[in-house]
Amino acid sequence: MITKTIIEQIEGEASLYFDMKENVVDFVTIAFPHFRGIEKMLEGKSALDALVITPRVCGICGHSHLLASVRAIEDAYKKSGFPIEITQKALKIREVTLILEIIQNHFKWIYLVLVPHLKELSNSQEFFNTPLKGAYGASLATKILAIFAGQWPHSSYMIPGGITSDFTYMDLTKAKILLEKLSRYFESETLGVSLEKFLSFDSCKEFTALEGNFAQIEQLLISLQMHKKGFAHDRFMILGDHQFSRVTKMKGTKFFQALPKYVMTQDTYAVNEKSYAKNALYKNSFYETGPLARCMAKEFKLIKNMHRRFKDSAYTRVVARFYETAYLLISCKKLLEEIDISEKSCVRSAPLKNIAGRGEGVVEAPRGPLIHRVKLENGKITSYEIITPTQWNISSGTQEKSSPAQKAMVGLSVKEAAFVFKTFDVCSVCTTH
Amino acid sequence: MHSKQEHKLKIFWLQGLTCNGNAHSFLNLEYLEELLEKIEFLYHPLLPAKETLSEMAKCKTSCDILIFEGAYDPSLKRADTFVDTMLHYYAKKAKYIIAVGTCASFGGIFKASSPQTNSGILFNEEQESGPLQGYSAKIINLSGCPVHPEWLGSTLNMIVDKHPVVLDKEHRPKELYSSLVHHGCTRNEYFEWKIDADDFGQKEGCLFYKQGCRAPMTHGSCNTILWNGVNSKTRSGTPCFGCTESDFPRTDLFETKTNMSIPVDAPLGVPKRAYLTLTGIAKTFHIKRLEEPLIDYKNDN
Amino acid sequence: MARTTKEERKNGIISAALELFSENGFYITTIPDIAKKVGMSVGNFYNYFSSKDILAKELIMYISEYLGKNIRAINESDASTQEKIEQIVSMYFDTAKERPEMIEYFLRVYLSNREVFKDGCEGMICVSPFITEMMIFFENGVASGELHDQDFFSAFGLFMGYLGGMVFLYGEKILPEPLDDYKQSISENIYNALKTRT
Repeated sequence: MITKTIIEQIEGEASLYFDMKENVVDFVTIAFPHFRGIEKMLEGKSALDALVITPRVCGICGHSHLLASVRAIEDAYKKSGFPIEITQKALKIREVTLILEIIQNHFKWIYLVLVPHLKELSNSQEFFNTPLKGAYGASLATKILAIFAGQWPHSSYMIPGGITSDFTYMDLTKAKILLEKLSRYFESETLGVSLEKFLSFDSCKEFTALEGNFAQIEQLLISLQMHKKGFAHDRFMILGDHQFSRVTKMKGTKFFQALPKYVMTQDTYAVNEKSYAKNALYKNSFYETGPLARCMAKEFKLIKNMHRRFKDSAYTRVVARFYETAYLLISCKKLLEEIDISEKSCVRSAPLKNIAGRGEGVVEAPRGPLIHRVKLENGKITSYEIITPTQWNISSGTQEKSSPAQKAMVGLSVKEAAFVFKTFDVCSVCTTH
Repeated sequence: MHSKQEHKLKIFWLQGLTCNGNAHSFLNLEYLEELLEKIEFLYHPLLPAKETLSEMAKCKTSCDILIFEGAYDPSLKRADTFVDTMLHYYAKKAKYIIAVGTCASFGGIFKASSPQTNSGILFNEEQESGPLQGYSAKIINLSGCPVHPEWLGSTLNMIVDKHPVVLDKEHRPKELYSSLVHHGCTRNEYFEWKIDADDFGQKEGCLFYKQGCRAPMTHGSCNTILWNGVNSKTRSGTPCFGCTESDFPRTDLFETKTNMSIPVDAPLGVPKRAYLTLTGIAKTFHIKRLEEPLIDYKNDN
Repeated sequence: MARTTKEERKNGIISAALELFSENGFYITTIPDIAKKVGMSVGNFYNYFSSKDILAKELIMYISEYLGKNIRAINESDASTQEKIEQIVSMYFDTAKERPEMIEYFLRVYLSNREVFKDGCEGMICVSPFITEMMIFFENGVASGELHDQDFFSAFGLFMGYLGGMVFLYGEKILPEPLDDYKQSISENIYNALKTRT
């Protein structure tokens, strides 16, 4: 018997078609509605117009699209024989603002998605629900981002050659101070312990000593048995090259090479409704992407320990997002300290009309690898392809070959499955663009 | 002073074809918590609300304010219901209809997804031929891509305070859109003396002549009510792309269109002759201070 | 006898000054020479122009406004760009014939004695009305699709350098034919050089 459930508030919506057997999910297909045709819109436009249009793929991760876009264009410059040598300052500030967008995303996911749905799933009256904490944390993170990028959402401050922002030492200082404020907020309001201490945990046994939002969430997840539910394929993919990530493919804890050229898309298996999403695969297999994948690749002690005990359960997946937030706050601080303000913000590059050929930009967006592939002729776009992270996690495959999210929902009740679906942090608008 | 028992204005945030940028921008409102004491969301795409979208889609209730985000697309469905159906039903019931963002105001970027069918709710670019033409008197356009959270916040406050919202010809509140994005730009002195920025990445120089800045032709308050409380595009060296106007997005966005080196568009309302005369005179003079960097991090000590 | 207005007296000085400067040169012509030609006392002259340098600058502004006004009328007409080129050439050549002292002053005094104009007539500020109208002409020409887009100065130099050169030759009495006979070929050459390429 197929039941349809529409999941809302996932940066749009998605329809889950559950095939139930004995009251649990036997198989589920996923359809995403709402197509906007952004790739087609870009054809015929000047390459730089992509820097304004692609952030509008998504309201919560538009900044990642900006970086993927500019990297793709700069790659096209390189392949045309006009490589651009960007300054360390520009590269680092691009990383800083990318990281802040990820942090903003996680704050919102924790307080606007995880907490309300955990509360609903557990039917617990006493469980807290403080959505505005998510809005506040996110607004502070994007305020810091805006010091460099001018605004959030929808900045276009990254251009071939570097960044448009010629910020002052005063701006840099302000950013550092506000980052401290944000870190203290996360520590006191969410974690209940300092970032450094949290990141140094060896195992999840150390959570028992904690108090605060994270501790309550963790306890509730355990009581809902989420450490025994929501398993995907235990395979991970990280393709964006950053200081905070390691490019690799993983099967369990084993590392393998990962090259963007093996990434492909295919039509989704969505028999009940037309889906405008496309599946994303690597060498014809599905992989999980996002915070858990990135944490696994970095071999953080705590995550390794949790993975040893609970594999890629919903519990591990959720905790990884908290862990990554703490890790990124520290990474961001380090990057800001490395900025040499005397370097140029933007170096000159060849005139755009000289640029022809292909370029690819790969970025670790909040939910995983984001790939932009552009083809230029005399500086104009002839084709543009975007592959988003949600396409990896929330692919809709067959029962024999299912995506991470599909596999994770099998064997659960509809309510639990909907919750597990959300632990992948779904972005509907990105998936369909 | 509003007591918490007083009737909170009920708002339904309905979306058309959108990226959710306006919903996220709104979450950055500094006084969100205080505003939520005066208004209540029946439905919001991000904030927890009274109802689910599926409930609202049944079209059984009503709202005081209908907020619409995204381009109008007649074929679009949400919660298994045509958005068009929900739009018309709630538009009739609501006292105010607010189009947030340029897509809802004029069509914006997602009009291009289906140019023949998509538009804003009242305007289709500059023409007042959108689906809610009949409700023109109730409609406020808060254009911008995305809308600045304070533009929505202050409009909602005006409504709560029962203060009349005076609109311009494009239904945008004059309080927010009568000034130009150009007002308050930190590069104004360079605009005055026609010192163009030769490259990106410098805090000196005006971005109007070469880098395609539309600020002198664009209505908005980005340089007076700063973004995220700290900055703006032009202050951080990015040209304004004119995102509050009905012709957004234009093309060749980082370049100024010129004919024989003369900008095709002069600042709003400024006759070409006046602009060229003034520019010719300003460009004649070389003001040494304005041709030097303000801070030279490499060599200053 | 009708009382002449201040404006008319001023214009009288301007005409007289332009004639004397073009006949005898800038440095040789003195204020008393000009005052005598107009029929006023030197003291009264200084009520209109407080120095020879100021007079020199006002003269160039007067000429630019004159040319600017005429080009503006051509710009605002409905004619095609090709026709406008013919009209500008015609207007310029007619001015050279009917009021030779104006063009002569421009070529032989303004362009050739830069030291006189360096304070107060920096760059192109004193010829601004004329330059602005030429900018409008070029901008409209490209906007309407009749002229190809290029750097303003490349186009301006071609147009004005050409006209100035022809009028110089005319002034030196080198041209074998009357100036009017050159209007058509000059206009064609300018149009062919500037028009859109297919």
